[in-house]
Amino acid sequence: MHFEKLNTDKNKILTKSCNCEQTSAADITSVVDEVIQFTGREPEKVILILQEVQKRLNWLPSEALRYICKVTDITPAQISGVSTFYSQFRHLPVGKHTIKICAGTACHVKGSPLISDAFKRVLKIDNIRNVSPDDLFSIEEVACLGCCTLAPVVQIDDKTYGHVKPTQVDEIIRDFMNSGNQNISSPEPDIQEDFDAEIRIGIGSCCVAGGSREILSEIDDIRKKYNLNIRLKPVGCVGVCNQTPLMEIVTKDNLHSRYTKVSKPQVEEILLKHIRPGTLNKRIKYNINDLVDTFLSEDKLFGQINISGELREKYLNNFLNYQVHISTINSGILSPESYEEYCLSGGFEALQKCIKEADQESIIRIIAESGLRGRGGAGFPTGKKWEISLKATGETKYVVCNGDEGDPGAFMDRMLLESFPFRVIEGMLIAGYATGANEGIFYIRAEYPLAVTRVRRALKLCYNNGVLGNRIFGSAFSFNIKIFEGAGAFVCGEETALISSLEGKRGTPHLRPPYPVVKGFRDQPTLVNNVETLSLVPWIITNGADSFRSVGTEKSKGTKVFALAGKISKGGLIEVPMGITIREIVENIGDGVADGNTFKAVQIGGPSGGCIPASKADTSIDYEELIKLGAMMGSGGMVVLDNTDCMVDMAKYFLTFTHKQSCGKCTFCRIGTKQMLNIITGLSEGKATLKNIDELENLCITVKNGSLCGLGKTAPNPVLTGLKYFREEYEEHTRGICRANKCRDLIKYSVNDKCTGCTKCSQDCPVKAIPFTPYQKHEINQLICTKCDNCRIICPEKAIEIINING
Amino acid sequence: MVKLKINNTDYEVPDGLTILDVARGAGIKIPTLCHSDGLPHYSSCMVCMVKDNRTANFLPSCSALVQDGMDIDSSSEEVISLRIKAVELLLSEHRAECEAPCKVVCPGGYNIPLMNRLLSAKNFEDAVNLSIAQLQSTPLLCTNCAGYCENACRRKKVDIPVSIRNMQIFISQQIPQENTLQNQNILPLKKSKRFTSHIGKLDSTELQEWLKECGNDVTRFREIVDTESAANESESCMHCDCRAVDNCRLRDIADEFSVKDQGGKLVNSPIQKKININSGLIFENAKCIKCGLCVRLCEDSKEESGLCFINRGFVSIISEPITEDFNNILKSKSNEVIEICPTGALSKFK
Repeated sequence: MHFEKLNTDKNKILTKSCNCEQTSAADITSVVDEVIQFTGREPEKVILILQEVQKRLNWLPSEALRYICKVTDITPAQISGVSTFYSQFRHLPVGKHTIKICAGTACHVKGSPLISDAFKRVLKIDNIRNVSPDDLFSIEEVACLGCCTLAPVVQIDDKTYGHVKPTQVDEIIRDFMNSGNQNISSPEPDIQEDFDAEIRIGIGSCCVAGGSREILSEIDDIRKKYNLNIRLKPVGCVGVCNQTPLMEIVTKDNLHSRYTKVSKPQVEEILLKHIRPGTLNKRIKYNINDLVDTFLSEDKLFGQINISGELREKYLNNFLNYQVHISTINSGILSPESYEEYCLSGGFEALQKCIKEADQESIIRIIAESGLRGRGGAGFPTGKKWEISLKATGETKYVVCNGDEGDPGAFMDRMLLESFPFRVIEGMLIAGYATGANEGIFYIRAEYPLAVTRVRRALKLCYNNGVLGNRIFGSAFSFNIKIFEGAGAFVCGEETALISSLEGKRGTPHLRPPYPVVKGFRDQPTLVNNVETLSLVPWIITNGADSFRSVGTEKSKGTKVFALAGKISKGGLIEVPMGITIREIVENIGDGVADGNTFKAVQIGGPSGGCIPASKADTSIDYEELIKLGAMMGSGGMVVLDNTDCMVDMAKYFLTFTHKQSCGKCTFCRIGTKQMLNIITGLSEGKATLKNIDELENLCITVKNGSLCGLGKTAPNPVLTGLKYFREEYEEHTRGICRANKCRDLIKYSVNDKCTGCTKCSQDCPVKAIPFTPYQKHEINQLICTKCDNCRIICPEKAIEIINING
Repeated sequence: MVKLKINNTDYEVPDGLTILDVARGAGIKIPTLCHSDGLPHYSSCMVCMVKDNRTANFLPSCSALVQDGMDIDSSSEEVISLRIKAVELLLSEHRAECEAPCKVVCPGGYNIPLMNRLLSAKNFEDAVNLSIAQLQSTPLLCTNCAGYCENACRRKKVDIPVSIRNMQIFISQQIPQENTLQNQNILPLKKSKRFTSHIGKLDSTELQEWLKECGNDVTRFREIVDTESAANESESCMHCDCRAVDNCRLRDIADEFSVKDQGGKLVNSPIQKKININSGLIFENAKCIKCGLCVRLCEDSKEESGLCFINRGFVSIISEPITEDFNNILKSKSNEVIEICPTGALSKFK
């Protein structure tokens, strides 16, 4: 009988077996005591306490849990419920290093399941203990690391590897072990005024994953070596996330040169081409020609886009041309860690304007008139929410910034928090001022450590500069902000579940009303706004409601940030005006589908959204239009799919996700999603019938109607849109055909006549399914083959192809 | 005050009430499983669904607060079919049997599980009474019966079936001449026409869990010759029938909606029978519908550990806290949780 993996974990928990030779009882008590010292003993602090204890012990031995209950007001029932609810907490010892394999949408369509298999196979990770024999590595599949443009992504401890292939496991492990775990700190931004050139390096997660920290320290070394008069400036996300790391050189005469995918050995060459003491200008003119040659010679690792002139927006690249920046204004220019720079670019002027010139009602009126709607997914009018919040009465009012962006395939909130922390803080302060709140909480998911660090640093700088704290700008307005790190539960993006989580409970939603804005955190009025919503607020205040209204459609105003990823030539973080069509995004901004495949569909809104077929790509981005198609805006993940993607597989992927992330409270979501998943799994294995498809459809409607919260109500959307637009593909699966050759049980690997008998595949096959037959056409033993894809990747002749199992 | 409509009748009620409160006050019947007056709302089972025609949304009436202008529908086909679906979903992971297999197949409809329980408790007087009552409705069939009961007996999968027929024959022989029924409470049961849940497939480790219901190291007797052999043999009965056979709210609702048990049960965790030796409580996880009533009942208590939810989503289960032993929880509240459990998941062991 097949049990879910969690159950085996649970059984192990129940047997209370403890492998804690490494951690003695004395260690445990001293660690817990140390943690309690600064966290406090209230039941509300349980998540923080567990996080801090786990940080120190690497897992949560039951002795530690018992001791926590003994010395705090937390009950055994609470600690058990909470620690098993959130995915972050481990009840079994793990390997020294954790390999996180991203299972986000973009990674999934680019083959993350094969990567996961490859790591397990190569490291001989045992499925039950989930540790490699040398106790060095454990594998964890995470919902989304938010580096979708680098898909498939693997993170070992803090080091991220992008564009991973199943055949690269050894290489990655070697690189990781060699690099050690050293932390390369980024040099402080320079402040000198007179310099020959400014070097801008992206330090968003994607750039860091691409190695921008190493590049930064390399530049610093070279600067010292040649005594170059340059200003080194770390900047936030530029948006061209699949070409990282990015390096931009702005010379004195305002000539911008941008390099993509820069590698460490190239840094010296690039720098010296632009900047040399003495003959700078001549060198540049000379070198532009030189560089164009390099670019044209298709040096794959070394792409450069040249721009000259005053305006960056006139940039040759369409990628940036079709965008409108409000949330992400000054992207690629602002240093995310510099308070001064944010102020110089007009930061905190909006807040000052509010506090000095405007009363609460008029601020709310501006927001209402601007037509701003919540960017978290459902699109509730922000002005209206603020108005209710202002009217709500309570001892303490709270503003919560919802940064629990859990949708696989979405990383807008992460980018905004990493690149523009001050802007979000300002938005929150304005929200607080306008609604009469004095306490703010950033709820940021645990998978975004860099975002947490940046926001924490930004908050500190704000306190130091008097923008936070008591009597801000000398007024009577006081506001304090804290950070709460989520513990890994997608459902906590739902505002009532988020509040349960803040209160130290299991993150289960409850029925609204009462709305949190009336009765939320600690039963006090709590305004919950999404990161992107808050980041738009300062701009609206500064530029007025009309400027914001002028962008967008009748009912959806302003811009929307999307994380464009998947089978697209140019992916990244984009901000587009509402009303732009999906086709414009895919073809103009994303430069069409990559690798010569055809554009099939766009997945919008992640697990709550749906797949919009290419035939409907002329639909414009608008809350209502998307709902009409059966999808929804969601938080803004946009994953482009091509003809090699199977719609049944996509639906299965999302259902697997929602069924794992369901809180398990209400019947429809808990059991309904499981039954849906069972049917769709049957389909992907070619075992279902047409009758099952009808059953599936009925079940979808029931779950949509009956579920308690947004997660369950929208979980059937990927299936329903699949059935609506790609029904024939579902029906084909009942006959054992997967036209995209994606569903593993319906495909096999086969060798075609291009085979030269080079034996590479045979040598590389991990299960020896290909006999070693030099100079003869190879054969794959289907009984042994595990469909790991290694042979197809390694074959120099493209002689290995995937065909239908019956073909 | 709030004005709303329920089933096209106008009501004016105070603010802060739930739809269920108002409906009950008005004599409208709405089934519930996870709701209990006096405990915080939870809205898990969703069998109390109603529809607000104004917004076309379905709401769990136990926690949906009344709002001005609501137009509630609690009885249309659409609403009922959603409730039925909720019950069907709950039953699809309810790996439990309402009735013991032996009793279901017995042509005479004898209450075999009860007989075994009386015998193993050495309550021969009532065993005789049961036999009298049974024979009054159906004469003894066991002597000529092919033994469907023993064929269906779960013990057969472990070793050999319980000697049901011989025990029945032996007890019937103990009936005195003037066979008047002494205990009116012991009644034969007609073959149940009620909804009956089925357990689905069991694996071998799960089967072993049933042995917890049997006495330890029982000497088996094929031939039943005296009360001692009868008592011993009856100890090997695995008590497949549900302890809540007649007071299960899930079964009542399934009956009310004429739901049929679905084959192919979903498995969210292996069947376990946990027995608390201190309070005589038995918890059978596979019968649990995760309504959380027992959790909410002991939530406030700081001194005494109660039950809690473990895990998330489909695999979430009710369990003792992971830091505690099942024998050390619910020291004083064991009867209360048994009382509040809507199914037979929490029961008195013996």
